[in-house]
Amino acid sequence: MTRIPFRIGQLWRTTTVRLTASFILIFVVFSVLLLAFITFQSSIVIQRQQAADIDREVARLQRIDKQQGVRAVAMAVGKLAQAPGPGIYYLGDAAGQMVVGNVSDFPVSVFRADGIYNFSYQRQRPYDPDATDDTTPFPSGVAVVRSVVLQNGMRLIVGRDVVERRGFTAIIFQGFFYGVLGILGLSIVAGALTARRVLRRIDAINATSTMIMAGNLAKRVPVTKRKDEFDGLAINLNAMLDRIEQLMQGLKDVTDNVAHDLKTPLTRLRNKAEAALRDTSGEAEKREALETTISESDKLIRTFNALLMIARAEAGAPSGALTDVDISAVVADMAELYAPVAEDAEMTLETNVVEGIRLRANRELIGQAVVNLVENAMKYWEPAGSAAPGKIAVSVRRFGGRILIEVADNGPGIPADERENVVQRFVRLEKSRTEPGSGLGLSLVAAVAHLHRGIFRIEDNVPGVRAIIDLPAA
Amino acid sequence: MKILLIEDDREAASYLIQALDEAGHVTHHAADGETGYAMASGMDYDVLIVDRMLPRRDGLSIIESLRAEQDKTPVLILSALGEVDDRVTGLRSGGDDYLTKPYAFTELLARIEVLARRSSPGEAATSFKVGDLSLDRLSRKVERDGETILLQPREFRLLEYLMKHAGKVVTRTMLLENVWDYHFDPQTNVIDVHMSRLRSKIDRGHSTPLLQTIRGAGYMIRD
Repeated sequence: MTRIPFRIGQLWRTTTVRLTASFILIFVVFSVLLLAFITFQSSIVIQRQQAADIDREVARLQRIDKQQGVRAVAMAVGKLAQAPGPGIYYLGDAAGQMVVGNVSDFPVSVFRADGIYNFSYQRQRPYDPDATDDTTPFPSGVAVVRSVVLQNGMRLIVGRDVVERRGFTAIIFQGFFYGVLGILGLSIVAGALTARRVLRRIDAINATSTMIMAGNLAKRVPVTKRKDEFDGLAINLNAMLDRIEQLMQGLKDVTDNVAHDLKTPLTRLRNKAEAALRDTSGEAEKREALETTISESDKLIRTFNALLMIARAEAGAPSGALTDVDISAVVADMAELYAPVAEDAEMTLETNVVEGIRLRANRELIGQAVVNLVENAMKYWEPAGSAAPGKIAVSVRRFGGRILIEVADNGPGIPADERENVVQRFVRLEKSRTEPGSGLGLSLVAAVAHLHRGIFRIEDNVPGVRAIIDLPAA
Repeated sequence: MKILLIEDDREAASYLIQALDEAGHVTHHAADGETGYAMASGMDYDVLIVDRMLPRRDGLSIIESLRAEQDKTPVLILSALGEVDDRVTGLRSGGDDYLTKPYAFTELLARIEVLARRSSPGEAATSFKVGDLSLDRLSRKVERDGETILLQPREFRLLEYLMKHAGKVVTRTMLLENVWDYHFDPQTNVIDVHMSRLRSKIDRGHSTPLLQTIRGAGYMIRD
């Protein structure tokens, strides 16, 4: 039982219930205003109708008086006075003595002059043979009457009991009261039901997040077939969770790879240092060991930096890192930087750069990516195995809504089934295991392409590799 | 040179002080930001070496305060943060150069020697002369021993940078940064290839080579 107030309290805190409550309030206020207006309008109509009725009856009685004389009028008034209803009738002589009628205690002014009067009066109790209690006062009424003098000086008063009219208003009010009460009740029930439904769906999301926070990253928010806003939210949340899981997986991969690819050379480094320490050999050997240590640690740092860069690029760049960059100029710079190197390696480096291609980009990363591709092309070219002279073609061009940065070579190429693999972190083709390098070059290129919302792909250049950084132009 | 080193890692600091001493420089040391700022504004140094992350006061805020006081002492920022953005914010705060940890001491030494204000012939110089080699920045003409040497635009900029810092070691990364304006670390000997081309143009056929390779550090031009 103690849970109920808690639940109600909880319900009250929900947005749905509060919204429902404010809607009910607004609805009631407007209903009251509307009803007041209707009541006011209808009472005016009723009032007019009563006035018209009174005027018609007076005119008719005056006509009877003119045509048939006072006796006929007295009989007509007597008949009217006995009919049940709100009618008020009086016929009296000039002295103020009632001849026939159902009300006599008019204010004095009514007898003095013709006109329309409003007043409260004491109604006469109709004769009831079965009545036992004659002492209880009959309720007083409010009347509107018209007073006229007939041809022979007798006074005719015709009117209506207004209380009857007021009764009508009371009925409207009563109906309205119960109506509002019903609406209030129904709204509360409907609000509570909606809130419960909404709460249940939110509870499902909360439960999922709790499980995810507890470490179960594979958990997903349930999506119904209703396609409502909650499903929209759930779908987005799930997409976000997928992305987070992917990033977490990436992080795990990085740590695994760091563990493997950094620990191995670190161990080597340590062994070398230990060997040098143990060694009884001369100063020159010790010096050489130290120099190896430094160059090994430089390599380690380079690998580590590349890893960090990839991780950051894959995680998406801070928006501040992207500026308006002349991609053509960056690629041309890199080609110019590497042309002499290629020449020394007895290769040619051709450039085919369309001028003035600009993009919001990270200039350093684009440059680094192009350098990685060029270095890769040079590294894997096999002078002995190739009949044709080594050739690297670097180009930038627009293609539809895309910007394509291509580095193509005529080297040994990459087997089709391994093209996807080389883009992965640390993957190096079996053949190239012995080559120097961290094996991160192409994965960095892929990460840079991803950072710029593009893709990196490798195609066959027959023979050789065509590496393409494919970026959206805007 | 008189150098102020603001660095909280005592081991790194004592190593640096010793190495700078061996290179002939006098180094003062501050182990936290506040002390460093007080020393930097109280004394006249040729170069400040400021670690970016310091106890009590952030390295960048020290530089900003000094610059606000019109103190134009050259500053080399040391940082474990190596991203392009970090470099940009570091230089924007008023630093003159940025070096990412870990670094080679030769790299640091080369950079502070180039930074030191007393030593440079200045940005404003219109021509440089080393031995019988002369370079005119306005007419973009290079001559050696009265003979005109034709250089590619990039080769001209390489030589210009070297001659601007004649007698000082410039490292490969300094060349990549200042001549090409890129900050990444090329894996191949790309700078060496460019240098050997430049060398063949200016030193070939002359008895005294001007362009020298400094082993384990970089290059230097001198007569």
